[in-house]
Amino acid sequence: MLGISKKFIFIWSWFLVTLIAIVIVGVWMTVGGNRELLLVGQTTDAHHQIEVACETCHKAPIFSRPAAAVKAMNKACRTCHEDELAKSDDSHPRKKFRNPRMAQFWDKLDARLCTTCHTEHRPEITRESAVTVAMNFCIACHSEGDQDVRLIRTSHADLSFDTCASSGCHNYHDNRVLYSDFLVKHAQTDWLTQRPVHELTRQARLAYNSEDERLMHHDAQAPSAALSNPAILRDWADSAHAINAINCTSCHAPAIANGSDSAGVETVWEDKPSQKICADCHKFEQNTFRKGRHGMRQHPKIANPRDIDGKLNSYGLAHITPSFIKEWFSDPAVPMYMTVAEARLPMRSEAADLSVGCGSCHDPHSVNVAYAAVDACLTCHDDMHSEAYRKSPHYTLWLAEVAGEASLGTGVSCATCHMAKVERRGNLVTDHNQNDILRPNEKMIRPVCLDCHGLKFALDSLADDELIKRNFRGRADVHVESIEWALLREREKQDD
Amino acid sequence: MKRRFNILGISALSLMFTITMDVSAEGLSHEQVADMLYLVISADRAVYTQKVVQRLTEEEKVITASEYFDDDAALPLPAQMFRFGSEYVSDLTEEFSYSLVSLDPINKKNGPVTDLEREGLEFVADNPEENFYGEEKLGGLWYFAAVYADIAVAEACASCHNNHQDSPRSDIEVGDVMGGVVIRIPID
Repeated sequence: MLGISKKFIFIWSWFLVTLIAIVIVGVWMTVGGNRELLLVGQTTDAHHQIEVACETCHKAPIFSRPAAAVKAMNKACRTCHEDELAKSDDSHPRKKFRNPRMAQFWDKLDARLCTTCHTEHRPEITRESAVTVAMNFCIACHSEGDQDVRLIRTSHADLSFDTCASSGCHNYHDNRVLYSDFLVKHAQTDWLTQRPVHELTRQARLAYNSEDERLMHHDAQAPSAALSNPAILRDWADSAHAINAINCTSCHAPAIANGSDSAGVETVWEDKPSQKICADCHKFEQNTFRKGRHGMRQHPKIANPRDIDGKLNSYGLAHITPSFIKEWFSDPAVPMYMTVAEARLPMRSEAADLSVGCGSCHDPHSVNVAYAAVDACLTCHDDMHSEAYRKSPHYTLWLAEVAGEASLGTGVSCATCHMAKVERRGNLVTDHNQNDILRPNEKMIRPVCLDCHGLKFALDSLADDELIKRNFRGRADVHVESIEWALLREREKQDD
Repeated sequence: MKRRFNILGISALSLMFTITMDVSAEGLSHEQVADMLYLVISADRAVYTQKVVQRLTEEEKVITASEYFDDDAALPLPAQMFRFGSEYVSDLTEEFSYSLVSLDPINKKNGPVTDLEREGLEFVADNPEENFYGEEKLGGLWYFAAVYADIAVAEACASCHNNHQDSPRSDIEVGDVMGGVVIRIPID
């Protein structure tokens, strides 16, 4: 037809399709649009929850120099993880390596950058703790000259570098229980302490049971319709809120509770207050929740969707762009809550549609902390460790405490180890950021394990993956030799 | 207490920045800038040693100083305070850096890592009254470097170094050179 060959039509069609694809991708990259198709590889750990908000990590403008882009990306890492590293008394902080005298190590392993060891979107090389370099990374700085640990420590003479960080002996960042002095001081402890009680948990539970300011059923301030629900009223009257003089209005009508509004409670009553009302009192819990895996989608540093209207305005196209085009080129917002189905850990299929917010674990009226500490977790989590909990000695202790048959703080719930009580400004609060005491699991030893167990027992137990799967039913088949080696070194120094 | 340390650190840093910026503007040499930085650093260290550690541990006896100050609820040792300050500076700027190093370090990472450091440490060990100056290229950049003798000014300095299980020396006496302070300023 008109002398136009099929080959010609094919080439031009191919050219046009390619051109359109390039334009679309270009617009997605520079203006807006869902860029999930452009993800170059799976993100690490729980980062998939925020991966549609690319600018959270890719902070530099799109055509920045590579060095500036890397610098900005590393700043983003620190924005979310710096507090956690500071709490862990980081053994290899960035500031230690910025001094130019460390330049000899920069080419071997540039410890000034998080991204040296933690590269995103590379699932094929991602190891435990999101490490993307070979596990013998210690070799870069500790294998030559005066730094050669095989010469400094006789116990290390025959060791290879691929076991430093995987044997339970060392961590790159958190070594709060893994240094010689601490190991020696705790060398002789028995497997169980004389008083196996998690002290901060005991104090917290004691506080829950205080009756000094307790409110009763007849103290409830609520509209008559709400007061007519006996189940809710009973839940509240038995709750930690009632014990601590938190009335219905505190959450449902804060203007009444704080005295700034004298109108009738009916006029300002809110049936379903938002999560924000919880945070008014539980700020620490909210802050740590947003830094942890359950609530990271609410982290204040998650990038907002790009401003498509602003961009179009700047090109003078805002008025002539059809709304469906705008919609197509709008960034998806990161949802406020993660659903259980989105989790990467094994979860119960029947919980798939649940989402993770304050109310998911804490019933707003009963605020039953015993439920939140065990049952809420097991509603969703379905891995071997969680499955084994109800057959574990820790659970037996927990049941005894909840039944009032054992002292406060002797029971070990999921939360005892994974959302530990901490002291903050004189108050006992719950750290909702699981990362603060997990990964590597030796982080848990100081704030939790040592209240009840000896260091040697704890180190061995946490190094035994099979024992962890059994939720610590039985004894460890793995032995970490750190303590013996620290004692050996002490003896060698004394002999010198 | 942490906030107070921060305030002290920021004040000292401000002074140091003022020194590096203002004196450079007036055309002072790198050597003069380094000398002035050293004065601030060494003064802070001396004040901490004498007015805090020495007074509270030896005279008032209300607290101890310990390498494991967190575990022991004690004061950080003067050398640790020095290193914390050095790392604090490194975290904030690349305009200058300083380190405490030694030919006989307790921690091996504080031994000399460049030829200039070794040469400077050997020089100040032999000439405690003099400073050592030089230039070296690190990480692709040229630096002016100055090395100042670090002398055991109190019995506590000597005894701590002599008795530490990782110390290669046990014969340090008051007045001996234990190592050196190295200050680096990038050139251009």
